[in-house]
Amino acid sequence: MSSALRLLTLSWLLLGVAFAQSGGVYTPGQFQTTNPNYLLPNPFYFEGRIDWNLLGITLPLNAWEFMERGIHYQDDLDDTASAIADYETALTFNSLQNGTCQIVTAASLVNGVLPSTLNPAPCIFTLRLRLGYLQEQSNPPYAIQLFQEVLKIDPLKLGVNSLIGETYVIEAEQTSDPVAQAQAYANAIQAYQAELALSPVTAVTTALTGDTANNAHVHWALAQIYLTLNQLSSAKSELQIYLQATQWHSDVYPWRITLANKLIATLP
Amino acid sequence: MPVRRYIAIALLVLGWVAGLGCGTTQTQVTGVSNPVQFQAQPFQRPEACLPCHQRQFDELRQAVKAGYRNASPLFNGLEAAGNLINGGLLRPVYSDSTIILPDGTLLNTNMFSSPILTETRQVQAGFCFTCHNADAETVGENPQTREVPPLPGLGSMFDPTIFRPLRDYNLVDANGNQLIPPQIGAYPPAGAQPSLGAAGITCDFCHDQNGPNLDRSFQHDGFGNTSLYLNQTKEKVGPFLFPVAVKNNFHVASNDSNKIAFLRAGAFCNTCHDVRLPNNNLTSNEVNINPGGQNVQVFRLENLSTEWQLGPYNSTNNPFGKVVRCQDCHMSLFPYAGNTSYEVGDLSVTSPTPGVFPTDYAAVPGLSTDQNYPLQKRQVVTHFFTGVDVPLLSAQELKDRLGSTYPDPYANSIDTHGLPTAIAVRRQDLLQAATRVSLAHSDTSVASGGSFTVRVEAVSLTGHRFPAGFSQERTAYIQLSVTDANGFVLYQSGYVVDKPHPNTGETSPDGNLDDEDVEHVHAVVDPGHFASGAYAPGTTTNGGNNVVFELGPDDGPESRVSEGKPEGLVLFRNELTHIFLPCPSSSTNPPCTTDLVGRTDAQGNQIHVQTAHFEETFNAALANSVDNYRSLQPLQPRIFEYQIQLPTQAELQTLGVTLKGPLQIHAQVNFEHFPPLFLRYLTQTTGAGGPTGNGLNLLTEQSIDSLLKNVQNISEADTSVTLLP
Repeated sequence: MSSALRLLTLSWLLLGVAFAQSGGVYTPGQFQTTNPNYLLPNPFYFEGRIDWNLLGITLPLNAWEFMERGIHYQDDLDDTASAIADYETALTFNSLQNGTCQIVTAASLVNGVLPSTLNPAPCIFTLRLRLGYLQEQSNPPYAIQLFQEVLKIDPLKLGVNSLIGETYVIEAEQTSDPVAQAQAYANAIQAYQAELALSPVTAVTTALTGDTANNAHVHWALAQIYLTLNQLSSAKSELQIYLQATQWHSDVYPWRITLANKLIATLP
Repeated sequence: MPVRRYIAIALLVLGWVAGLGCGTTQTQVTGVSNPVQFQAQPFQRPEACLPCHQRQFDELRQAVKAGYRNASPLFNGLEAAGNLINGGLLRPVYSDSTIILPDGTLLNTNMFSSPILTETRQVQAGFCFTCHNADAETVGENPQTREVPPLPGLGSMFDPTIFRPLRDYNLVDANGNQLIPPQIGAYPPAGAQPSLGAAGITCDFCHDQNGPNLDRSFQHDGFGNTSLYLNQTKEKVGPFLFPVAVKNNFHVASNDSNKIAFLRAGAFCNTCHDVRLPNNNLTSNEVNINPGGQNVQVFRLENLSTEWQLGPYNSTNNPFGKVVRCQDCHMSLFPYAGNTSYEVGDLSVTSPTPGVFPTDYAAVPGLSTDQNYPLQKRQVVTHFFTGVDVPLLSAQELKDRLGSTYPDPYANSIDTHGLPTAIAVRRQDLLQAATRVSLAHSDTSVASGGSFTVRVEAVSLTGHRFPAGFSQERTAYIQLSVTDANGFVLYQSGYVVDKPHPNTGETSPDGNLDDEDVEHVHAVVDPGHFASGAYAPGTTTNGGNNVVFELGPDDGPESRVSEGKPEGLVLFRNELTHIFLPCPSSSTNPPCTTDLVGRTDAQGNQIHVQTAHFEETFNAALANSVDNYRSLQPLQPRIFEYQIQLPTQAELQTLGVTLKGPLQIHAQVNFEHFPPLFLRYLTQTTGAGGPTGNGLNLLTEQSIDSLLKNVQNISEADTSVTLLP
């Protein structure tokens, strides 16, 4: 974190304390007990978006409050810069690196039970995913680092490996170094394959749904990488699986289905 | 305390109500320190009120709560599914129960009869039944008048093979004796009639109210889980003071101004329309704050009343400049009493006006009053209580279960006020008043092969969030399409695809789209199965986990909420979440299974979590977190962005397509009351292959196909985008 950001964080903290002590509009611990929209962590943070106007927070003071205000900036005000600043501040309070958050594992249990309070608090995945997405274009390595932290928090979470894959593709497209580009594409392929491994199409899946493939967008993305790398056989294979995956689910870009058919017809 | 004020005033007016409450049989209002005594009157069938209140009877019969609810395969399926997960704990117990709780105390009070809910098992006991049939539960304290029996064994003693759906107990023969179908879940025998409890929330429930029961509300505020007193006496609380005396003293119209005010207030509705479910919530700590209740943890399954209470309609800061109560939309002429135009943010809205009531007789003139005292027409309320459900029962089965005069939900009929009466018609009209959308903030041009942003601004006009109620299943979403001027589809979201459903026997597409889920996630819920030997509550044997769970091509909810990406489905449905936890590193007895997500990896191995894992669950009994903020809050417009990539020139060339501008954008809000995947889970878990080993005869693929009717296009917007070369 930059020193400017640290200074900003400290200023906010001091301001918050001043408000609390002077009996101003915001007294931490007061409205939380009476406002049902302010959820007291037990022990996890609420991993979602609460309408900012319902929270009654004047000055954010902790990781969760900064995250919620960041979400407000991002979703409601389209103010990406302020969102990033808040997410960064939130991370300083919920960091694996400085020990202010923990991954919840068997070691977090006390006598086999999850206690109602964890110290340090659990690491928040929403914060990292949102900040990572906003950094995909400007700082792909940082985005990837954040996404990989999410995989440490919850290795089974769907969509995270896809985010890593798409960020590696951005990295590949941004570099002029052919070696780095090849490595980035290889990493992207690996990430997309990791995504597929999390929701495999098993015999049970097919028996219950009729699907013989899934994750259409992952297969489409893989096909695009293979086409870029001129690995046409792999591209064709991925396009074929894409068609299987869209058989009963179509696509948000339905023309891709027609395009896939036409491409398959031209590929060796 | 309001209740004490009611009592004091009620005692004063007792004298005025000359002699009417002075019968020989007295009953006491339970739980209050200074009880009023009126002559006891048993819980009445709504038919008892019919002769004098025909209009109200007819209207109320259309309402879900007093109409088909107890016969509903969905309600019965939900209640059954919860019981099959937890070993029958949701069935009521009564004062003669001999069940011993784990702490050694007796469990002989249910959610309604417990003075203070100090044990989770008390909240569970009759959890569904209490809210939907509190009077019948109260009557059930007497074994002679009990309709729904307690189960002979709970928890590990639960026997799923003898488990019946609640509606099996809602039938009587011609003599009024309970008529239980000979086979579990069987169709009503010929001649069967609805029982006393079949109608659910009837006239007597609301008009027997005796104020909020703060001790049974978890925040001591009179919110949720039927936290009110019921007074089974002749005193009936109506909406106005000094009504004319009732003929033959059938009942006493209350002159208690506090009770009357309570009946007319949103606070009355609040006593039921928050539902706090007794489960540990791992993201938000909420416990019963009443003395001794600290061990009862809850999460908010239905949060409708809180939403209204904290929202703009419970203030004058709304377009109508006055408090708009529940009754103003659900017991008025709404949405048939004209429109109002107003501004919400930058949106100009025209929507139905709430709070307009018909003028009519409160009772049938000429036969309702003592000495046939003449009645005047006055402002009255309607009793349709229109909501967002329609029955998943055929018109014939409705009649066979609820009486031959039960109305057709889809009838094209009007009442004396000229209003539609059929529940399906009223639902559609109500939903069309719920939201508005605009595309005015969308980009106005896009270069060929480039990307652009569509911005759908959506606002809820409802008094609570939209959707509300069982908002984690109510599925409202934006359907968006982008086409060129020739109709070539460039982008779609909120679409459905006709497909097979082998899990419930539909082996090929059936041409019906109402039974299809939106494409953000593909999930199949494990229905569980019958296992011989000991029943083990809460295990994967009983189902509930996602046996298939994968992201679909339109995955907006997850990417928008968690990742902040401007893409995919905009879904206003709230979400129940199951946080799977790792097991202790040392072995436990019984073996720990909390780490099993319920499906296998590619090699067929059960997937165990090593860290906490969050996943949407479709069974409230398995949820340990809930996100109630995906729905739209009232009168707070939100803009949802879709970043859309047009095909490149090379792709268009391969496709053989030349795009023609301008591009056409269409957005509409659709509504389905329950997601089909959830209905298919209920179909299976209550079917012969489920944990009971019996078919409960509630749902089938065929009934879903023929009876699940969604409402398309409750609001819409169109715009065009210039296509630049």
